Amino acid sequence: MGVKGYIMQLQPFSVNDGEGIRTNIFMAGCPLRCRWCSNPEGFMQKEVIGWYRRRCIGCGACASVCPQGIGIDMDSACIAGHSGLTGHEMCIACSACVKVCPENARTRMVTIMDAEDIIHEIHRHRVFYSYSGGGVTFTGGEATMQPEFLDYLSHELYGMGYSLAIESCGYFDFEQVRESLERMDLIFMDLKHMDPAEHQKYTGVSNEKILDNIQKLATLGTTGSGSESKRGSSGLEIKSEGKEGPEIVIRIPVIGGVNNSEENIAASAAFVHEYLPHARMELLPYHRLGAVKYEAIGKPFDQDDFYTLDAEEMDRLREIVREQGVSLADYR
Amino acid sequence: MAITERVEKIRENYVNTKPHISYERAWSWTKSFQRTEGQPHLIRTAQAFYDTCCELPVNIWEGELIVGTSGEYRKCAILTPEFGWLWINDEIDTFPERGQDPYDVTPEQTEFIRKNIFPYWKGRSVEEAFLARTSEATKKIGVDTGFLDTDSKWRNGIGEISADYVDVLLPKGYGGIRREAEAYMADLDETIPEEKAKIEFYKSMVLIADGMTTLGRRYSAKAAEMAETEADPQRKKELEEIADVCSRIPEQPPETFREAVQFVWFVQLGGIIAENPLAWNPGRFDQYMYPYYKADEEAGIIDYDTALELVECLWLKYSEWAWTISKNTASFFAGYTNFENLTIGGRKVDGSDATNTVSYMAIQATRECMTHQPTLSCRIHPDCPPEFMEAVTELVSTGCGFPAIHGDRTGYQMLSNLGYKPEDARDWNNCGCVVPHSRKTFEWTSAASISFAAALEFALNQGRSRLSGEQVSLPEKDPKTFASMDEIIEAWKKQFRYLVRHGVISLVTAQEIHKEIGHRPFMSACNEYCMKNGKDLVDGGAKYNIGPVFTGVGLSVTANSLAVIKKLVFEDKVTTLAEIIDAIDNNWEGYEQLRELALACPKYGNDDDYVDSIARDLADFFYEEVTQYDDLYGNHFVTAFMGISNYLPTGKVLGATPEGRHAKDPINEGVSPYTGSDTSTCLAALRSAAKMNHDIHSGGTLLNLRLNHDLVATRRGRANLGAMLQSYFALGGFHVQFNTISNEVLADAQLHPEKYRSLLVRVAGYSAQFTNLSREMQDSIMARNAHTEF
Repeated sequence: MGVKGYIMQLQPFSVNDGEGIRTNIFMAGCPLRCRWCSNPEGFMQKEVIGWYRRRCIGCGACASVCPQGIGIDMDSACIAGHSGLTGHEMCIACSACVKVCPENARTRMVTIMDAEDIIHEIHRHRVFYSYSGGGVTFTGGEATMQPEFLDYLSHELYGMGYSLAIESCGYFDFEQVRESLERMDLIFMDLKHMDPAEHQKYTGVSNEKILDNIQKLATLGTTGSGSESKRGSSGLEIKSEGKEGPEIVIRIPVIGGVNNSEENIAASAAFVHEYLPHARMELLPYHRLGAVKYEAIGKPFDQDDFYTLDAEEMDRLREIVREQGVSLADYR
Repeated sequence: MAITERVEKIRENYVNTKPHISYERAWSWTKSFQRTEGQPHLIRTAQAFYDTCCELPVNIWEGELIVGTSGEYRKCAILTPEFGWLWINDEIDTFPERGQDPYDVTPEQTEFIRKNIFPYWKGRSVEEAFLARTSEATKKIGVDTGFLDTDSKWRNGIGEISADYVDVLLPKGYGGIRREAEAYMADLDETIPEEKAKIEFYKSMVLIADGMTTLGRRYSAKAAEMAETEADPQRKKELEEIADVCSRIPEQPPETFREAVQFVWFVQLGGIIAENPLAWNPGRFDQYMYPYYKADEEAGIIDYDTALELVECLWLKYSEWAWTISKNTASFFAGYTNFENLTIGGRKVDGSDATNTVSYMAIQATRECMTHQPTLSCRIHPDCPPEFMEAVTELVSTGCGFPAIHGDRTGYQMLSNLGYKPEDARDWNNCGCVVPHSRKTFEWTSAASISFAAALEFALNQGRSRLSGEQVSLPEKDPKTFASMDEIIEAWKKQFRYLVRHGVISLVTAQEIHKEIGHRPFMSACNEYCMKNGKDLVDGGAKYNIGPVFTGVGLSVTANSLAVIKKLVFEDKVTTLAEIIDAIDNNWEGYEQLRELALACPKYGNDDDYVDSIARDLADFFYEEVTQYDDLYGNHFVTAFMGISNYLPTGKVLGATPEGRHAKDPINEGVSPYTGSDTSTCLAALRSAAKMNHDIHSGGTLLNLRLNHDLVATRRGRANLGAMLQSYFALGGFHVQFNTISNEVLADAQLHPEKYRSLLVRVAGYSAQFTNLSREMQDSIMARNAHTEF
């Protein structure tokens, strides 16, 4: 009996979430409901089958094997007569259709995976991690939503010598995942808005817990108060007394119309500077590349209110971060 | 630093001019042969070379610093009727208008050639000798078939030589070569038959050396003459310098970097005049040129920019020579490509890193000139300096397709497995496209092209071509009656063995003919051991005589097809072999659903052992089968998976295949996945390819992968590319070339998504298959690419 968890995807050859060539483990389930989310299939810890309409050739193989009587079009009501329920709602994620679809139009978007299978997939690419300085990044969804699974995987992979990173929304019980976080070389944590009300409005939760957790990051891996410098002014590493803490990058997904005001960016950077003087920040432009996933799971894509800042505007905001004394990270 | 005005002008001319046919070389050669009837062929060849050097038009073009051209046109294509002229006679009228690789030629030239040159060679060419000695059975399967082809060894000059600049040419000069030959001759006794033969060889060396010396002096005289009337004082000075350099070069060893560049070009030109060769390799340019650069720089007589300009002038000379090839051959080697392979990087013989300033200069010259020659190759060793890797990946990111990138250790292993001594194996350079080679070697590196997929077609069609219905291979039982996978694989092996046999017969026949009328005194003069042994290359004079190379094509198509039969017929039992045969007989028409099932089976290139292990078994069998045969010289034949665009013509002759491919569609080159079927990541494709045992295929292995330009647009992205390369080499891979993707390709991918399933694009922090994206998203990515084009 192995340890299992909900996985959206293992993405080998990920290059923007930490150093080098990495495998991203997208873990399902998220406590936030960011309105700009590009991975909506990862909201819940629930198996999900998606339907990519544009790949479908209409052969009907899926419909012929579906025990729920769902037709080709998962968005319409089922022929079996369950009035009002769409194929998505009726689906029990048995994967019978996925196995027969010749075009991968039906795909598993969230599955239950065995930890050993995940580790096996990660092993395959170890030579690429070695040469590139890469490793494994836990992301999601929200990786901390499956704390035991995260603990097991990070414990095993850490023991095997892989370099680990995590990308988190910051909304979790810190003590519950502290040990997992200690195993990381790099932690990305989001700071989506400094204003609690705005944060609540766009993500469904207030930012208090997140701000609190960002402050707690300073307590990782150090014996003292976290004031010990990891890097000296020369940029060379200075060994602190205890185990060194992970590198920290606070990320702002810059959503035009939500959090792109200079005041908000300045306030965010000031907060980071105050509580995590050695952390860096990374500003990521909003994108709409998740639209096709909304289509696949039959959810409306409602992001017309948001816009993407152009490169110059992004650079101006980055300058504001720098002015607050915070250096920038860049994994592009 | 930008490209100089001089180089830019030469470059513009190179880009905008169509090559012109010149018959001058062929005419001199023909006249000489008419005068030497009855003499030994070796002497006749050397004499023809000498006579041609005395007669060839001598021109110095506008702005040139490095001089020497193979005819009266700046972009010149010459003829070698002694190898083959039948095809030229058939096609010459269509040269100017043909779609791929046209040449200019005037009606007057055509008439002259037909009247004065071809008649002499009738019945005397290598091509005619080959056809006269080859059986109908061999012709049926191995002459102009696309199943098995050997014609590059009996229709054209051989080439496939790496000049020995280190131990022979640069230290001796042609004056030194002449003196050495005379010294050897002085000790030989003409009454002893064996020594008499050696005397003939050394006489040929003297003729070659005198020819080269004459060529240099004629250019010197021409430059001096032009300098006298030149009005522009700057150009006058340049011409005087050219006159000065060519008064010594190539007779004497060069003393400066500038002289060395001119020397290298004269040697290249000599080889062109001698054979019009394919894969006539400058070799490890950075290694033999660096000492000149260093000495000149220390003496204060040259700086980096001046040296770079000379190197760029050389690059343009390499590119101005156009190989003359048939329409059919042009479909294999599109783009006037003549594979003058120039290798940089790697390790020295003592094991230390070999990169130097000239390595970087070569990369810069290729980036600035964007010429199709030289074929720039680099060797990457495990401790490759990061700066060199950065320069290499930066060049890749321009999308020019250069350099071809090779793993140093695998190249070493490939040569070690052929019996090379460590000091020679460590000094390997590339030949042609991806062949590990040595300046000490005689080897037909691209001798036979053999189609794995044709063997499968014959196995599954009773030895007949599926398109023509003709019985071209061994009979076989009705494919619908095969009862097991083992039986099918045995049938494939039987057909494949038959192809190999006829390849061996063809190549040994060609070797016999070349031993009679294919002497290579010019190339022998570039080879240290020919001089020591007193023997021409065709008589086995080289230090290493390596058997001819069979290049396998269609590996992944064949492995994928066998995987489909294994899975759908014998494991899942969702269809029958009979149905699959009917489907491919009908080019999948009416079997669309079955085709979908076939397409969904595991495909090579996705790190899936189910099919990768089949591919590896086929490749291993290829090695075992081919290497058991010995050639005329007693050396075993060699295997390779290279081939540049031969997956197109070899696909055109085949019917549909069980893995879902339609009739006449391309197959695949080298160890590359079938286009569009490596739908996982680039890393998975690298892992699949690395499972083929590269080290045993000593003729080289080739892997082409496509990458979105965006992936290599940043320094960080290029560092990751470097890591991917090192990873592939650590896994045992030999060569990989990354094609970065242009928007043109992406537009085509929108129109024909089925062909581009494996096309990876960077989306947002990760990469995805382009065809999985919505139209708008595709458009947005293309818009993004447009901003990142260099």
